[in-house]
Amino acid sequence: MNPFQYARPATVAEAVALLEEHGPDARLLAGGTDLVIELRNHWVEPKLVIDLKHIPELAPAITQRKGFLSISAGTVMTDIAEDERVQHHLPALVEAAVVVGSVQIRARATMAGNICNGSPAADTAPPLLVYDAVVVVAGPAGTRRVAVNDFIVGPGKTDLQRGELVTAIELPIPDRPYGAAYTRLTRRRGTDLASITLCAGVDAAGAARIAFGSVGPRAFLVEDESGLLGDPGIRIEDKVEPLDKMFELASPSLKSLRASPDYRLAMLRVLGARALETALGRLTKELVG
Amino acid sequence: MSAQSVGSSPRRGGGYGRVTGHQEYLADIKLPDMLHVKLVTLDVARARINSIDVSEAESLPGVAFVMTAADLPDPMPRFGPQFQDRPVIADGETKYHGEPVAAVAAETKDAAEEGARRVKVDYEKLEGGIFNVTDALAPDAVLVQDPSLRGDSPFAQTNVIDEKRFGWGDIEAQESDLVVEDNFQFPMVTHFAIEPHGFMAAPTGDGIEIWSTIQHPYLLQKIMAKMLQLPLSKVRVHAPDPGGGFGGKQIPKFEPLVAFMALRAGRPVRLVLTLDETFQQVRRSSAEIRIRAGFTSEGALTFMDVETNFLVGAYVDIADRVVSKSSYAAAGPYRIPAVKIIGRTIVSHTTPSTAFRGFGIPQIGWARESLIDEAALQLGMDRLEIRLLNLARYKEAFIPMEEADGDWEQTVRTAAKRIGWGDPLPPNRGRGIAVGLKSGPTTGLSYSTVRLLYDGSAMVYAGTSDMGQGARTIFAQIASDELGVPVEQISVVMGDTAVVPYDQQTSASRSSVLMGTAVQRACFDIQGKVRAMAAELYGVDEAAIKIDSGNLLLPDRDVAIVDAMQQALAPLGGEVIGNGEMRKQKDPNHPLGGTAAFFEFNCTASEVEVDMETGHVTLVKHVTVGDVGRSLNPQQVTAQDDGAAIQGLGHTLMEHYIFDDEGRIRNIGAIDYRILTSMDLPLEMHSESIENADGPGPYGIKGVSEGSLLVTAPAVAAAVREATGVLIRDLPLTPQRVWEALQEAKDGS
Repeated sequence: MNPFQYARPATVAEAVALLEEHGPDARLLAGGTDLVIELRNHWVEPKLVIDLKHIPELAPAITQRKGFLSISAGTVMTDIAEDERVQHHLPALVEAAVVVGSVQIRARATMAGNICNGSPAADTAPPLLVYDAVVVVAGPAGTRRVAVNDFIVGPGKTDLQRGELVTAIELPIPDRPYGAAYTRLTRRRGTDLASITLCAGVDAAGAARIAFGSVGPRAFLVEDESGLLGDPGIRIEDKVEPLDKMFELASPSLKSLRASPDYRLAMLRVLGARALETALGRLTKELVG
Repeated sequence: MSAQSVGSSPRRGGGYGRVTGHQEYLADIKLPDMLHVKLVTLDVARARINSIDVSEAESLPGVAFVMTAADLPDPMPRFGPQFQDRPVIADGETKYHGEPVAAVAAETKDAAEEGARRVKVDYEKLEGGIFNVTDALAPDAVLVQDPSLRGDSPFAQTNVIDEKRFGWGDIEAQESDLVVEDNFQFPMVTHFAIEPHGFMAAPTGDGIEIWSTIQHPYLLQKIMAKMLQLPLSKVRVHAPDPGGGFGGKQIPKFEPLVAFMALRAGRPVRLVLTLDETFQQVRRSSAEIRIRAGFTSEGALTFMDVETNFLVGAYVDIADRVVSKSSYAAAGPYRIPAVKIIGRTIVSHTTPSTAFRGFGIPQIGWARESLIDEAALQLGMDRLEIRLLNLARYKEAFIPMEEADGDWEQTVRTAAKRIGWGDPLPPNRGRGIAVGLKSGPTTGLSYSTVRLLYDGSAMVYAGTSDMGQGARTIFAQIASDELGVPVEQISVVMGDTAVVPYDQQTSASRSSVLMGTAVQRACFDIQGKVRAMAAELYGVDEAAIKIDSGNLLLPDRDVAIVDAMQQALAPLGGEVIGNGEMRKQKDPNHPLGGTAAFFEFNCTASEVEVDMETGHVTLVKHVTVGDVGRSLNPQQVTAQDDGAAIQGLGHTLMEHYIFDDEGRIRNIGAIDYRILTSMDLPLEMHSESIENADGPGPYGIKGVSEGSLLVTAPAVAAAVREATGVLIRDLPLTPQRVWEALQEAKDGS
């Protein structure tokens, strides 16, 4: 890799100042599971790498606040997957966190990094969308909160402006019985990049939504307008049409090595139906339990 | 003799170092004053090199020099095990994606990499690149190799290196009730050894020292001596235990390049490839197989007609031998009145293929076993029964000059029982069974020296490469039993041509049988010497002394060999040295140059469950049974079979090179070339051995380590076919491919 300057700020304010000064010449280092590979392959050649791991405000922490869980930017996938509060309230996020990379990667990779990297195949994007996550952004003008759906823009692109960085991700704890499930399509069971990432969420009122990624420039969140998908009384075979409608935004790449467009489109339906069934099952369990 | 160590599984020699990180792999060896090398390659398969500008690269701090074809002798030195066709570095034209055109030597790895990026190559992409069999055989095809390199070959003006024809009987004269025919394809796959290839060279004043991850150090020594016009005694090859080989490290690759660079620099140089770079340098040959067979209505084979086109790559390497050896056994272990076999070695503008575990058999076995299933289906026969009916019985000649060297029926029945053949199946499940056969070594030459030291410990010298198969342990076990020395007190010395006597090669599952015999004979030599010493010491007639389990049996008592040696050598001490040799001569009358020393015979049976919506195949149970003669070290034999099975499941389910239209490999590296992980293993896996002590090696062993991947693909594909009703003729059986086949079947019905 090319030589670069290395900075280790002690506060978010220092990091923001460095980012503002260096703009695109600077890259942030949290877990480093994306950055180090990019450096090694010369995909990025920053002049400055800003290490965020010594900023106490970003230190790994999952904090329960009134009505939501706040996950600091330094929190790694393993911590999220093992947290009992996350397991209880946000099972679909756990299902996504435990399939990111490998055991070693999950011990280093942060969820904030997963979102900031801007990969259309980011595993945590669909559950964050379904759970209405809010991204907390610090910048020269102070702190702002952005809905994750607005934060994710396109491949490698986020809503972050010059001088800004993510300090935390806030996840509302569902205020009503809620069922959600995450699933993905891969070429093998072990470590793999997903050809489809998909999360379905339903509530007792029959409101259903599906977020899906890896089949377009970004992960999309789509609300069911038919009212049929969230109805546990309707058999899944009779939901084909509204389900298909959910995936109209899908535009899988023709050039991908991982799966053909036809296969991806067909699998969206299969995975969508399966995730929906699981989500409905979880909702029923919550209602009964 | 009653063995003690043989048949047990003592702690693996070198195992502790491997699992704790203490083993010194080639990349761990640091030579003083060493330069690092990085290769310069082009993002294209076939290109003409107009000029190479090294000035900017050479002006970088830390860069010593850049080597190109212009810096090498003219004409370009070429080498290879069968044909001298591989240039030291690309000479005027690149013939595959990743063929180096220059090499940068620098004080650090980073500087070498930066230098490699700054080398400016003026090249033009050439049209007409040959990336598949059809293009290679087209009448107007570009010739991959310069005809002047092809000598007097009748195929010199084509892309065919050679055409092998084997067979017996007249296939046209056979009467058949059923004739089945089909075409199958086998993809390009790579070895994926965890340790990438590495090469180092250092000038010694009057010669050269080479370090390599090579499996065949003595072949490398021979090639380097010839190329540098040095006596063998001045070329010293160090071959540290490789971290996996699978055949991909048999044949020299960039050793000549680093040697020329070291001589130019007057300093040691080293090149360690990245995993990604190994993808471009070694692979298994792909193949297109057309196969036809006749059967009686009872299911007896009447004839078989197999034609295989192997697409071997830009340089022949050992691939032509892969073609001949696998084609020779193409008809498998069956009793067939008439057989016609054609195998073609076809060059292309792709990574040169080389030896790979199974040596061509997985490609042909895939087609043959799939076709036999089709015949069984059409005849309404059970797929196990049709195999048992046609299987050659013990000692029966099934190829002229070759007879069945094991009770193969026992192997097949054991596998069938283990998989639960015939038991009812749940929905979406299926089972498959297949048999495979691979010829062992046809020639061989191994020497071993064993030293019984005064304190009762011993040293074994063996030129085998232990790349994970466990040869160190096996040789220690043999010496332990023959000399009565505990395994822990035996050191096995390998990997240095200046210290260890000659061995032809580590390949074809030969080492336990051939080098094992040499080690055993070296121990016999010591036994004889100690017997003579004991006869004098105890005043006994030499002929009256028998030897058993490391003891001399005197008329009135038993004395340990070690005790007799110590008494005889006192008070000066010293040691007793034994030499052993195992030679399997060439047979000029045999089509392969010699009969097989043994056959690796394997029956693989698999049960799968298919997700009918996604095409995902779950391996519910996978069984392999091999006829190993005797399991010299049961733990290692099982591990070899498990490993081979898992590697076979790779090319069966997920491994394959993906090319673009210009012959570039698109899925280089571990991200988009998938191999099995522990999560992808069969839910249940069994590797079993048939042991009738009927092999040619010490204590009746045969070679092992390739059997379990010979017919993985047809066994699994047959199970998928039973579960889904669809026949797939291309590998691997990725979820997408299975799903597409299911869709086609749905649309067709």
